[in-house]
Amino acid sequence: MITLSHYLALSFFLFLVGIFGALTRRNIIGILMSIELMFNAANINLAAFNRFVHPSGVAGQAVALFIITIAAAEVVVGLALVLSIYRNVDTVYVEEFNLLKG
Amino acid sequence: MIAQFIFWSLAALTAVSALGVVTMRNTVHSALSLGVCLMGVAGLFATLGADFLFAGQILVYVGGVAVLIMFVVMLLGRASDLHLRQVNNQWAAALLICAISAVGLWRIVKAFPLTGNPSTLAPTTKPLGLLLMSDYAVPFEVVSLVLTGALLGAIYFSHLEREAAK
Repeated sequence: MITLSHYLALSFFLFLVGIFGALTRRNIIGILMSIELMFNAANINLAAFNRFVHPSGVAGQAVALFIITIAAAEVVVGLALVLSIYRNVDTVYVEEFNLLKG
Repeated sequence: MIAQFIFWSLAALTAVSALGVVTMRNTVHSALSLGVCLMGVAGLFATLGADFLFAGQILVYVGGVAVLIMFVVMLLGRASDLHLRQVNNQWAAALLICAISAVGLWRIVKAFPLTGNPSTLAPTTKPLGLLLMSDYAVPFEVVSLVLTGALLGAIYFSHLEREAAK
């Protein structure tokens, strides 16, 4: 029997992988992809709680829908910023982003 | 039985491709792996009975975000990137943070009782639409404003740089 705990464990694993990637990747696009993984972990949690704890309503799925929308907006602006930064400093590695260092 | 098989195969697909996203050296492979991972998550939504989320995940994430990330990876890529280390020196500290978080999250998992599948599945598109038009009307409008802002911001940043490059 697949239970709520299975979905929770899977989404926590996804979240930890996302945290690890966001902390260790040097490439800024890799960091953005790790952040997307964390968004998806949160969405799995919301859908699973909706299914197992409150199956008569769809409020959790509505919140997950909002998260998907915000994540799309975030990645569009983020990638535009990455392109803009790349044209200025000519690198994608975050330790070389030192424009504010004076 | 078949539900268990579907869950475990989708979970394995999602977990392995998520590990691929953070460990692969080539960013193009990472982005492809992200697409597979997002599709696995969409399948998990389907097993949870969230049919509209399944469709939205495929449309927005797999069809939009993953393709956009792939475009930017290919725009910014260089041949020399394949020989550079893609991970910084802090991986031990990051693993420590992940281990500590894992202990806390595992306690949360154990706090929930093992309850089975509660009810039959029903289509969710109509209740979602009704909810968005009644209780969640204000967040719905705010999100549309956010999307407009994101659109304008993306155009602004890329346009400004194109003017400066001339």
